[in-house]
Formats: sequence, structure tokens, C-alpha cells
Amino acid sequence: MKRTFMLMTLGLMGFATSTFGQGLVGKLKQKAEQAAERALEKKADEQIGGGNANQGGDSNTSGSNSSGRPVNKGGAGLITTPPDVKQNLTDADAAFKSANYGEARYAVQQAMLGVELEIGNKVLASLPESVSGLPKDASQDQVTSTGWGWAGLTIQRVYYNNDKEIKITIGNNSVWMSAVNMYLANGGYAQQTGGEQNWKQIKVKGHRAVIEYDDSSGYKLSLPLGQSSIIVWEGINFANEQEMLAAVNTFDIDGIKKMLGEQ
Amino acid sequence: MKYILTAAAVFCAVGLVHAQDFQANLSTARSAYGSGNLEEARFAMQQMLNDIDVLVGKELLKSLPAKFDALSANTANDNVTANTGLAGVLVHRDYGSGDKTASLEIMSNSPLIASINAILSIPFIGNSGDGSQKVIKVQGYKSVLQRTQDSENNKTSYTLQIPLNSTLITINGDDCSEADITRWANSLPLSQIAKMVQ
Repeated sequence: MKRTFMLMTLGLMGFATSTFGQGLVGKLKQKAEQAAERALEKKADEQIGGGNANQGGDSNTSGSNSSGRPVNKGGAGLITTPPDVKQNLTDADAAFKSANYGEARYAVQQAMLGVELEIGNKVLASLPESVSGLPKDASQDQVTSTGWGWAGLTIQRVYYNNDKEIKITIGNNSVWMSAVNMYLANGGYAQQTGGEQNWKQIKVKGHRAVIEYDDSSGYKLSLPLGQSSIIVWEGINFANEQEMLAAVNTFDIDGIKKMLGEQ
Repeated sequence: MKYILTAAAVFCAVGLVHAQDFQANLSTARSAYGSGNLEEARFAMQQMLNDIDVLVGKELLKSLPAKFDALSANTANDNVTANTGLAGVLVHRDYGSGDKTASLEIMSNSPLIASINAILSIPFIGNSGDGSQKVIKVQGYKSVLQRTQDSENNKTSYTLQIPLNSTLITINGDDCSEADITRWANSLPLSQIAKMVQ
């Protein structure tokens, strides 16, 4: 089985490398063609004596690429359609009564997805508009639900200004809760390397948490909530631990805990 | 005969209890959602999934063969585990006793499905050079057959894994032949199982 796994991994790596290589060569070729076209256009304009407003621009702005195929310039995207909880419960009832358990299961999962998205949006709406002078970036607001198990429900918001950022991620019904709880269950665990401590247990508004620091990624604070939820804050370019904690203390942790149904 | 009738009566009673649980949880989910208690509604729906998985598990057990050739099912060991949060329902049955035994497990929403399907899609991975692993077809479904040899007593065992959409069926046979395990697999109602667990 070990041999099989290694062979499979090597095979998939080889396949991925080959595919990536072909894609990279194709892109380089396209870029070279575009550069050659722009050079020819410039020469032609100099000959004619006029200017070209599109000179030096991406050839995609003309609505087609170098091979003349249309390039997508925009669209309305997809309409957000969260599952209709009441309808799915009705469908589940009907499917169950006719012993169509596969359909019943699917309908219940869709209903759960709808409820989780509503819970997530409620939590998101309760988060502050700005933190430590950093405004939220509404375009990065995210609520995702993968259903019961594994990652469950996740809620994310990013606050940033220039090169300073703090991101909050809230996980609910998450399997990876157990990793953080393992650290916190052993009260005596600590880490120290060369007189510096990059990981330690702290308390935030009365809740046990773990704060970490890494030069390449900044501060990270993980706070388990109740039995199956966790909040993680990631701060980039915060001057020190106190500044990071001041930002974290802006959040209504007890309010989030209540909305997620944790005790 | 008396034992079979008793077992059937117990299955029906258990099924009835879970059907009632499902209706009760559905009612709770509806009223909780209607009053805006989203967390309560979600919890009730999780219970509904459990109820469905247990019922599906019981139906699956009913459809499984009572024997693999001369190996009789040990129905006292029959097990249905529902909705652990990571996988769906897990059904277990074992056959035989002593040196010659076999076991059958059906796991819906199995996390192993992706890796098994990857093996099936790459022929040089699925079929090993020494013949200890190969891809075969059981009732038209591609499956992975693995052979292990016990160096102490020279006995051969086989494992056959059959992926059906997101469900994985695993048959283990101790001290058996490839023909044995293939025959046992062919006695399973695979298309019926596929419909029940989709």
C-alpha cells in the first residue's frame, strides 16, 4: 500500500508538472505574440504619422486576443440562491415517506446548508465595521458551509489599510477544533527557543486562547469557543503583541458564541 | 426460522422508532426555524440525518447475503454506525469463524473514495507488477483487489474495494482465493446498494 501510494504520488506529480509545463509554454508564446504585434503596430503608426490610443495596452482591450478568439470582458456572475429551507424540509418529508432515503438525505443537507448560511450571515453582520482604524473590505466578506463534519461553517472578514491587515475567520462544527483544544488541555505546555517565545497561551475576555508569531506571517490568535467553534485572527504588520490584542478585544466574543449556539 | 422471524420483527420495530424520531425532529426543525432559532433548527436537522442514516443502514443489512459460500453471517456482530460527522453511515457484517473468516463494510461518504478512484483511473498504479494489486470488474464496477501473504503460515488473504459514487464497499477475506472473494462480491446487490446510499 505504501509503494502504491508513493507510485501514485509520483505519477500525479509527473502529470501535474507536464500539464503545468505545457500551460506555461503556451502563455509565454501568447505573450511573445502580443509583444510582437504591439511592436508592429507602433512601427506602422510611425510610418502613417498618427497615434494609437491603444499603444502599449493589452490587446485584450480590443475584445479579442492575438488569435482572434473572443475574450470575456465581463458578466453579471452568478445569482446567489441560498437553499429554501422550508421547501427542502417539505421535500425531505415527502421523500422519507416514500422511502426514498437518498433524496430525503439530500433535501435535509440542503436545508442545513440554508440554515448555516443564514447563521453565518447573521454573525457577519454583527462584526465591527472597522478595527483599530482599519476599515473592512466588504468584497472579501465570506460565508461558506460544507455541511456537517469536516470544515462545517466558516465566516471570514478582512480589515486592511495600506500594508496593515487583520483577518478574522470563525469556524463552526469544525473538525480542526480538536488540534487547538489539545494544546489548551495541557495547561503546562509552553514553548521557548533561544529566549524568544513564538507560541503561548493567553486569555482574551476570559476565554483561553493561543497566540503565535512568525516573522513571515505576523501574529495569529486562535480562540476555541464552546464545543465545536473556533475564532482565528491573523494580523499582518502589527507592531507588537499589545496592538494585536487591542484589535482582537474589539470583537464581541460572547455575542458570537451565543449566535453560534455554543455554551 | 423462528430466529429469522424474530430478527425481522426487531428490525421492523427499530425502523419504526427511527421513522417516528425523524418526524419528531422534522417538527422541531420546522418550529425552531419558524421562530428564528437557527441553531436549534440546525441541531434538529443533524438528528434527522442520523435517523435517515440508521434506517438506510438497516435496509442495507437486510439486503446483504446470509452466507458467503460455507461462511455464515454472524448477525450478532451486525453493526450500523450513523453520521459520525466525517462519513455517513457505516455498516459492518462478518462471516465465518476460526481461520476462515470474511468481513464486509459499507461506508457512505467515505473519505477514501478519492484515493481509490485515483488508483482506478491510472492503470499502471492500479495494477502492480507482482500481481499483489490489480483492478478488476465486479458487476461492471471497477474495483481494486489486493492480495497479502502471511509469511508464517503461508495463508493468502484478499481485500476488495468497490467504490460506488461516494460509497465504498470493502470485503476482506482471510485464507481464501481470488475466485472466492470475487464470487462473494458478485453475490452482493451492488446496483441496489448504490441506489440506497446515493
